[in-house]
Amino acid sequence: MIIICATGAIAHSPLKSTIPANDAIISEVPTEVFLGFKGNIRLTRMSMTHADHNAVKMDISGHVGFIKDYVIPIESMGLGIYIINWRGLGADGHALNGTFSFTVE
Amino acid sequence: MPDIWGLLAIVTKFLLYLGVLTAAGTVFTALLFRLSHYRGLCLTFSGIGLLAAIAAFLLRGANLTGDASGMTDPEMLGLLWGTPVGTALLHRITGLGLLVIGLYAGRIGLWVSAVGGLIAIWSFTHIGHVAGREASLLELTLILHLIVASFWIGILTPLKRLASSPKTWSDAAGLGHKFGLLATVMVPLLIAAGGYMGYELVGSVNTLISMGYGQALILKVVLVCGLLALATANKLRFIPRLRAGDSKASAHLITSIYVEWLVILAVLGTTAVLTSNLTLPT
Repeated sequence: MIIICATGAIAHSPLKSTIPANDAIISEVPTEVFLGFKGNIRLTRMSMTHADHNAVKMDISGHVGFIKDYVIPIESMGLGIYIINWRGLGADGHALNGTFSFTVE
Repeated sequence: MPDIWGLLAIVTKFLLYLGVLTAAGTVFTALLFRLSHYRGLCLTFSGIGLLAAIAAFLLRGANLTGDASGMTDPEMLGLLWGTPVGTALLHRITGLGLLVIGLYAGRIGLWVSAVGGLIAIWSFTHIGHVAGREASLLELTLILHLIVASFWIGILTPLKRLASSPKTWSDAAGLGHKFGLLATVMVPLLIAAGGYMGYELVGSVNTLISMGYGQALILKVVLVCGLLALATANKLRFIPRLRAGDSKASAHLITSIYVEWLVILAVLGTTAVLTSNLTLPT
């Protein structure tokens, strides 16, 4: 259990880049976000959290199959911190997940 | 700390290892040493392995959605089925299914069961850290490592059963002696296979000491060393004394087998953590 507690990090984090970048501060809410992965994956769930709003499910239905680059539309919720959570399946069968965030000022 | 899904994944993996290795090992030893009374044990552990394999598959579905809905979501499960995870499940169901069918076909059926056990063991090369390397030598090594481990697990219950009754002490001593001879070949193979895989996966002493994966591997090696010590005591002390009809040797051997079981459970538990929750060094 000590080992589990000490190193229970996400075992597989294959996200190469995002637009907006993680922790970026931008002046306008983008209409879409870009996720670029190191290998082919199939996104299975994406959600966005903003300030006091409940998590909102994002529409990933425009993509099918296992690909590296995803462009996903997002809904504007005004100024503040946007946290994007994603889950997916690697072509090798590994379940993958991660989070990135950006701030609109 | 992993979330509830991560913990459940570790538990199901542990049960999967326990089920497959015990069922397959029981069949292998029954075949090699012409043992009887193996059906109930094989059925129980095949059942555990099958249920754990299915549960592990469904849990991966939950991992894809982040909640329990993924366990019954046809889209998620369909996606998984098309990956090596689906292939591994198919081979586990086929392998353990064959193993069970073979149990009802007499001594010839044991060969069918053994093939089933091998198929179920082979499934472990489809996913996980070894599969990610795409190296056939590493896959073969893993299969060899698991076959030897299953033999070790498979001999414990028959040996305990035979050692429990004075009428079968000589059979227990004979079985222990024969297994001891086999172990002189298998144990070096087990160590060599484990060492090679550890070297290939971890790569350096620094990584071994500094990372959780390496530390868990060290723990596993320490536990296996404990097992070796117990097995050596069995081979050199308890088995010869049991052969001579010493009743105390029987009690010692049975206690030693119980402790071996506990250590094996700890080894399988460590392996489940190692393969599901710790980051492999890059």
